[in-house]
Amino acid sequence: MRKLYYALAIGLTALLLTASTHRNAPPTGFVNGTPAIQTISSLAFGPDGIIFIGDSKSASVFAVDTKDKTNLDKAAAVDIKNVDQKIAAVLGTEPKNINILDVAVNPVSKKIYCAVQTADNSTVLLTIEGDKISPVSLKDVSYSSVSINNAPAEDAKDQRGRPLRVSSVTDLSYSDGKVYVSGLSNQEFSSTFRSIPFPFVNKQDQASLEIYHAAHGRYETYAPIRTFTTAQLNGKKYLVASFTCTPLVLFPLDELKAGTHVKGRTVGEFGAGNSPLDIITMKKGDESILLMANSSRPVMRVKYKNLETYEGSLTEPVAESYATAGVSFVTLPMTNVLQIDRLDDSQVLVLQRKANGDLDLWSSGDRWF
Amino acid sequence: MVLNFKRIRLEIHKGLILFFTCPVWMLAASILFQACSGQKEKSTTVDIIWENERATGLIVPSAYVNEVPSDSITNLLRVYLSGTESRTAILGDYQPSDDGVIFRPLIPFTSGLTYEVSVAGEIIGKIQIPHSDHKDLPELAEIFPSQDTLPENLLKFYVRFSHPMREGQALRYVTLLKNGIDTVQGTFLDLQPELWNEDYTILTLWLDPGRIKRDLQPNQALGVPLESSTSYTLIIRSGWPDTRGAVISDDFRKEFFVGARDSISPDIKKWVLKTPRKNTTEPLVILLNESIDAVLLNDALHVMYPDSTPLKGQIELKKEESIVEITPESPWRKGSYILQSEGRLEDLAGNNLDRLFDRDITKNEERAEQEVYTLRFEIQ
Repeated sequence: MRKLYYALAIGLTALLLTASTHRNAPPTGFVNGTPAIQTISSLAFGPDGIIFIGDSKSASVFAVDTKDKTNLDKAAAVDIKNVDQKIAAVLGTEPKNINILDVAVNPVSKKIYCAVQTADNSTVLLTIEGDKISPVSLKDVSYSSVSINNAPAEDAKDQRGRPLRVSSVTDLSYSDGKVYVSGLSNQEFSSTFRSIPFPFVNKQDQASLEIYHAAHGRYETYAPIRTFTTAQLNGKKYLVASFTCTPLVLFPLDELKAGTHVKGRTVGEFGAGNSPLDIITMKKGDESILLMANSSRPVMRVKYKNLETYEGSLTEPVAESYATAGVSFVTLPMTNVLQIDRLDDSQVLVLQRKANGDLDLWSSGDRWF
Repeated sequence: MVLNFKRIRLEIHKGLILFFTCPVWMLAASILFQACSGQKEKSTTVDIIWENERATGLIVPSAYVNEVPSDSITNLLRVYLSGTESRTAILGDYQPSDDGVIFRPLIPFTSGLTYEVSVAGEIIGKIQIPHSDHKDLPELAEIFPSQDTLPENLLKFYVRFSHPMREGQALRYVTLLKNGIDTVQGTFLDLQPELWNEDYTILTLWLDPGRIKRDLQPNQALGVPLESSTSYTLIIRSGWPDTRGAVISDDFRKEFFVGARDSISPDIKKWVLKTPRKNTTEPLVILLNESIDAVLLNDALHVMYPDSTPLKGQIELKKEESIVEITPESPWRKGSYILQSEGRLEDLAGNNLDRLFDRDITKNEERAEQEVYTLRFEIQ
């Protein structure tokens, strides 16, 4: 009986330990240590407080467990005037010496994360909660990483010193177990797009994307993606990407395979003389909408149901200079928006350069969009 | 404790007055009130920690903090930018040391700015970070392509600097002048992040590809970035800071003339090889027939030994990047070697070994893509 008692006790302890270990277990492939992040080019959040950091210098994507997992359904409204001055003050410098590279919201805690570059090109990761700006330590953290370098460059190390090639990360996104990375080389004119399963494994699906860019009137094979998101349209997953001169292009994600060219379908031409800066998806009532910030045009709104019903493909040049074509969209009365992100289900986080030169970080409810 | 602080504060006030009347050279070492007031007590001097020409920390002496409970240091000791109403505490680490407390800000202090240190709300020091006396100012070392006649559809410039440069500044300091008079707008692609090599010494500047490609909307609306039979000056303007804050002191000008379009892909079969003799380290000379992208030549050309291992050696570009010389570390052995070029090797117009940059791919004119192109050569 005593033996049985001990056996039960041991079994129970083991069960508790297993449960406890499981609850605190790091994600697969994660190690504890200090990731060799050289620069923070791009940010995106994955599941359970995992932040993805695109590093253009080490040509890698790092996944770091922020441990920031306290769920918050609705974020407090954000209204930070002169956010660059406030960030500069906590860094002990002047706004001219910093550059806000990217802003991302943790979808679990709704906390704002911000990558800032300083005058010596080093980058720091900060969080913003109300008026409080805090550093995010990247030392002794749980992390994993994956290289996005091209194999030929690795093979090319033949004692002539360090390779000069850099695979710059231009945008980063996570969706349904995959990290999507768009990149640009500092040497040959080529644009790459990678789909990397997460937790990271060695296998990557890398594709070069081909679009018919109607504003350009010809096939464009190697145009670099400026910003993108992923979306479900008519039950199928698509990469929704935009390029300089603002075509909006759909690529079926299931066709992105290693070494393939995937031809996209251009569904919108939102005007030449402009570069898209950021794309996010929001819900307004029952309707999914796409919001896109631009360098030289106001924020644009596209209804996903219009994307679903638009079956055409723009293959002819837009006749009139700077005119638009394709799926219908609305320009919002909001200019010089540099970055946008989803703050919560009904609020958008906006980084905007105001007409008087101020750089403000604020949030808006769904009435705005 | 309070009295102690008051006493120190009085000294500080005296010190601060003298601080502002100090000769500038005295400020350069660190701060300071005690140095200026002639008092020798080292314990009242807040010192700057310098690492690699950057002010990476402050040592706040024990006299100010030894009675502050260690768990209250981060609350009571504040370092902030002088002249700000908010007195926002600068983010950083506080580490106890034999000399007091070392404060290391998240990023180095900025040259030329003044900081204040306070303990329990009382200012204990005011520190100006001196401008570094950089003896080696950053300079523009090279611009590629080096030739002074460039194709109308030139795709990119590489600008190499003597020091790592600050990112995000390029389009403020790079100007293109047409015929020595007119500033040409919108020539270069505005990229975020900018395209730098790993140590920020080589910047890639793309001329707007949308304007180069014929019939494209930007090309029709704005024309090609470079017009043929026209003179241009690429100006890298002074004032561009490097990562230390030192700036380029003089404008750099590259004059060039724009010739015809280059609409022919490089063809490895047309390269002429001058092979060295065996048992020597003479260079293998490759005549390319045209100027090729200098950075890609360094990265995308390889020589393989007969057993397919890569040859170790040096590569040198000559005659405006139209001749390559590859010198081995060890003497050539008799036998067959393979010269390899990755398909991504481009000429000045972005035409690579696989395809033309500006083409209508509906006509399917391109060659089949290859990862590498090869030329076999014999060492006799």
